[in-house]
Amino acid sequence: MNWDAKIIAFCCNWCSYAAADLAGISRLQYSGSIRIIRVLCSGMVHPQQVLHALEKGAAGVMIIGCHSGECHYLKGNELALARAEVIADTLEDLGYAKEQFEFTWVSSAEPERLVAAFHRMSARLADLDRDMPVTITGGAWQQNNET
Amino acid sequence: MKPKLSCEWLHGCSGCEIALLNSGELLLSLFQQVDIVHFPLLMDHKYTDGAGDDEEVSLPEADIGLVTGGVGLESHHGVLKAMRRQCRILIALGTCAVHGGIPAMRNQWTAGCTMETVFSTATTEAAPVPDAVPALLDRVLSIDEQVRVDVSLPGCPPRPKMIVSVVEALAQQKKLRLPYKSVCETCPTVRTGKGQAVIRRGTAKPEYTPDEPLSRMRCLLEQGLLCMGPVTAGGCGGREVPLCLRSRVPCRGCYGPVHEGGNQLLDMMNALASNGIDYRTIIDRKSLLRFSGAHGRLRPEKKRRGGQQLS
Repeated sequence: MNWDAKIIAFCCNWCSYAAADLAGISRLQYSGSIRIIRVLCSGMVHPQQVLHALEKGAAGVMIIGCHSGECHYLKGNELALARAEVIADTLEDLGYAKEQFEFTWVSSAEPERLVAAFHRMSARLADLDRDMPVTITGGAWQQNNET
Repeated sequence: MKPKLSCEWLHGCSGCEIALLNSGELLLSLFQQVDIVHFPLLMDHKYTDGAGDDEEVSLPEADIGLVTGGVGLESHHGVLKAMRRQCRILIALGTCAVHGGIPAMRNQWTAGCTMETVFSTATTEAAPVPDAVPALLDRVLSIDEQVRVDVSLPGCPPRPKMIVSVVEALAQQKKLRLPYKSVCETCPTVRTGKGQAVIRRGTAKPEYTPDEPLSRMRCLLEQGLLCMGPVTAGGCGGREVPLCLRSRVPCRGCYGPVHEGGNQLLDMMNALASNGIDYRTIIDRKSLLRFSGAHGRLRPEKKRRGGQQLS
């Protein structure tokens, strides 16, 4: 796999970000290509932001929210789920692979589950890189403006 | 001295030029305010002095340049760069110039695949690709992918009054505010907040009472028709009712995305999902990018190693 590859993980402030914190304290190991972005709710991640990350060359994007029924804002994670289905399907229409996106649920007490999700994502992208090497180079379609 | 206007036509259909000529009396007042120095549809002009084949395109200098159509052929590069060099202000006129437009629909296949489909498929008798046809670029680009653009005026075609008022405003150095909201902004139909949970087929008709005005008809999207209004830039009807809605037809999205960098397909899917509409009932989702396929939004499908299609 291309080792410059980055995986952007949008983590919900109330669960998965706390889980990432706990994973750090517990010294759990995960891939160095993960870049965590803290958001207040997984439901606030607009599909456009996922697409933007991929267009700018991220290998994969994850959205990690609270378990169903445990949203700090009552229904944010359900909205995120509805959006995640759309994102996964639409990314293929836009020329990306569905493996490049994952939506998953992690509570603040489950750092192992979070790290397992990170591992799964990196392994999946490594497989994808073998099958479709061009996909993960990123930015191949960006052209420089002249003048 | 009057400002000079130069107009160039690339990978487009001449609809934008005709929209400009269709602006009625406004056109006469525009002609009094600017001098047209280059306009392939109206007047003859040689691009080179004929001395050699590999020389640069020469275009007259101008204060305002209008470019319609995207970049789809090798020869368009030179003409577009010459326009940029010679024009102080460059306006991308029409959806093709701004977002790729209809020609950019071919970006979802390779150029070779497009030629093959056009010239030899089951529906056409196998014919060789004629030599006289200029080779297609790999994909259709919008002009801002190639050069710096000062003003973008989307539309298929743009509203004639808008074209004239923009050129006039630039000629007189006045301020002008361009429309920046979506089509829904000026749509008078009734929105109740509760609609169909599915999108009906394109052949479905909206429900309305023929004698009643549009302001008594229910929002077409709520009736289950795929109206692109929420994700499409407004301005087609000026401050009045959007053009397609006047005929009670759903918006097709011809003005391109509302925000620069927006993606009509993804935004529409997001809007549907957020409102509990089953987006899977849409047939041929990719066609929502029919007007904005440039900027790498539409691409050919990638093949996986071992020939397995990306499914």
